[in-house]
Amino acid sequence: MKKFNPKAMYTVAKKEFLDNIRNKWIILLTILFVLIIVVFSYAAGSGETFGDMENTVFGLLGISSILIPLIAIMLGFSTISGEAESGALYVVLSYPVRRVEVLLGKLLGLGSVIIISIIIGFGLGGVVIALTVGPESWVGYIAFIFLSIFLGFIYLSLSICISAFCKRRITSIGGGILVFFWSMIYGTIVMAILFATGGSLEDIMVGNIPDWFYNSVVFSPGDLHQTAVQRAFGVDTIEAMGFSMAIPEFLNSINLIIFHIIWFLIPLVLAYYLFKRRDI
Amino acid sequence: MISKKIICPSCKTQMTVQGNPGEKIYITCPNCQKKGYFILKDHEKESNSVSVEINNLTKIYKDLKAVDNVSFNVLNGEIFGFLGPNGAGKTTTIKAMLGLIHVSSGTIKINGFDMKKDSIEIKKKIGYLPEKVSFYDNLTPVQTLNFFCELKGVDKSIVPKLIKEVGLEDAKNRKAGTFSKGMVQLLGIAQVMIGNPSIYILDEPTVGLDARWVRYVREKIKMLNEHGATVIFSSHILSEVEALCNRVAIINKGKLIAEDTVSNLNKYLHIKPRIEISINGLNGKVPKVIEKIGGVEAASAKGDTLFVTCDSDVRSHIIAVLEESGFKVINIKTIEPSLEDAFVKLIEGDN
Repeated sequence: MKKFNPKAMYTVAKKEFLDNIRNKWIILLTILFVLIIVVFSYAAGSGETFGDMENTVFGLLGISSILIPLIAIMLGFSTISGEAESGALYVVLSYPVRRVEVLLGKLLGLGSVIIISIIIGFGLGGVVIALTVGPESWVGYIAFIFLSIFLGFIYLSLSICISAFCKRRITSIGGGILVFFWSMIYGTIVMAILFATGGSLEDIMVGNIPDWFYNSVVFSPGDLHQTAVQRAFGVDTIEAMGFSMAIPEFLNSINLIIFHIIWFLIPLVLAYYLFKRRDI
Repeated sequence: MISKKIICPSCKTQMTVQGNPGEKIYITCPNCQKKGYFILKDHEKESNSVSVEINNLTKIYKDLKAVDNVSFNVLNGEIFGFLGPNGAGKTTTIKAMLGLIHVSSGTIKINGFDMKKDSIEIKKKIGYLPEKVSFYDNLTPVQTLNFFCELKGVDKSIVPKLIKEVGLEDAKNRKAGTFSKGMVQLLGIAQVMIGNPSIYILDEPTVGLDARWVRYVREKIKMLNEHGATVIFSSHILSEVEALCNRVAIINKGKLIAEDTVSNLNKYLHIKPRIEISINGLNGKVPKVIEKIGGVEAASAKGDTLFVTCDSDVRSHIIAVLEESGFKVINIKTIEPSLEDAFVKLIEGDN
């Protein structure tokens, strides 16, 4: 009797895709994303700033780490709370469809919008990079695209979880903002912990940094994503702000992928638990 | 061969019809002689005469008992009015019937299926129009209805017909986000008809509609019911409920305070009819002779009209007394007690 119906999930996914691919805010953000990626790729590839694909991609990381989470959060933050508030969810759930099918349908439909945005943005960006600096690290670039999609799904899963938790759309906005800024403020929080536990700027400058400091990127999906992209291009040491830091062995490609999966699955399972228990 | 209890839409007389599923049965009401036909649906083979069975339903939100031990049955093929003041627990009960909320205790059975165990089976046979209906801003009516057809596993070829029926043909390619409240409501009405449900749950279905579409909805409810569907209907327009419903349930502060036909409610509550008597030269004064007549509950006057609330059988006596006292009676009109009278008396009494 309680059999999962993939057709119902697909139907919900199709509806979510059709509805959100025409959302003016998503269209605007996607256009912005594509334009920035293409312009940046062209400028970085043809100028003297980066000069090769690897460094151009690392430059792109800063942009994609902001815009992809933003698109994902905008897509997912009110998908349950907003529809429950407007009444659309009453009608959907009065049909023969299970809540798990609705939830996964939403994830797939909204995820498809993210995939389209990323493929257009990074696809065009990739063409520009290939034309200007040459396609020498194309495997790394494809990995970068996949990891970006993964990042999008992580933020989508987080925002759907917020949407399942919040009763009202307005509170979901607050939750979305918190999730968006988490990766931005996370570095400062970890730095504060480092200083509070006896670390100093001098230690950082000479590369005397405890492993936990770098390993703690696993608690921030944005930093985790950046580290994974660096690993995908075979980078072992990060050089920034005049000091260099070796990426600890713990943060190898497999572990990084496992943490991506954890960041994706835990909010999704929690979203299902909250949605299933929720009174609509 | 199955039998089914039906209620005459004109005089509310209950009668039993017998036949095979899908068979068109011609009936004449033994009371008012109104003729009509009835089609027994396949699903009625499996169920008895009760369509919706709610037993001891309770829903508690933190410290609020929204629904308190409510029990009632809705019979197959009846139009059932579900009434109550704002915040009484109507919508909570309806949501429980659809599995939208988790009940604190009690059971809900629809067409013999238990809501907790077989909600998917139940929902295949239900059409629901919520009070606060909303759809997807960026989808057209065609895409919206296609989506709901797919969810119910119904052929999408019915969509153009549904759109035409609710008058949204000119707007069929417009995004629903640009629709007026009435247009969204019409889209909701089209949605509710997908898959020919055997039970319709309509929460304020005429809200936001103009007079033409209000009439359409009322006619549609009657037609659906004549074809064997059960309709559970909630509205603040009590005259609408009275005109359409065979029976009503009234809920107040989460508790069911009445469940019966409108006429039985009025009898049970001893609500008396009101007589409006036009008298030449009354000038807003109630004649003293009226107050002495037994069976008169209340009397008031406005201009040349005297309003008397009394037992039906003292009506002729009142007229005779008035004429004997020299009053010139021009016209007499009897207003039978309405559902509104019963509703107000019940709610005020309960409060």
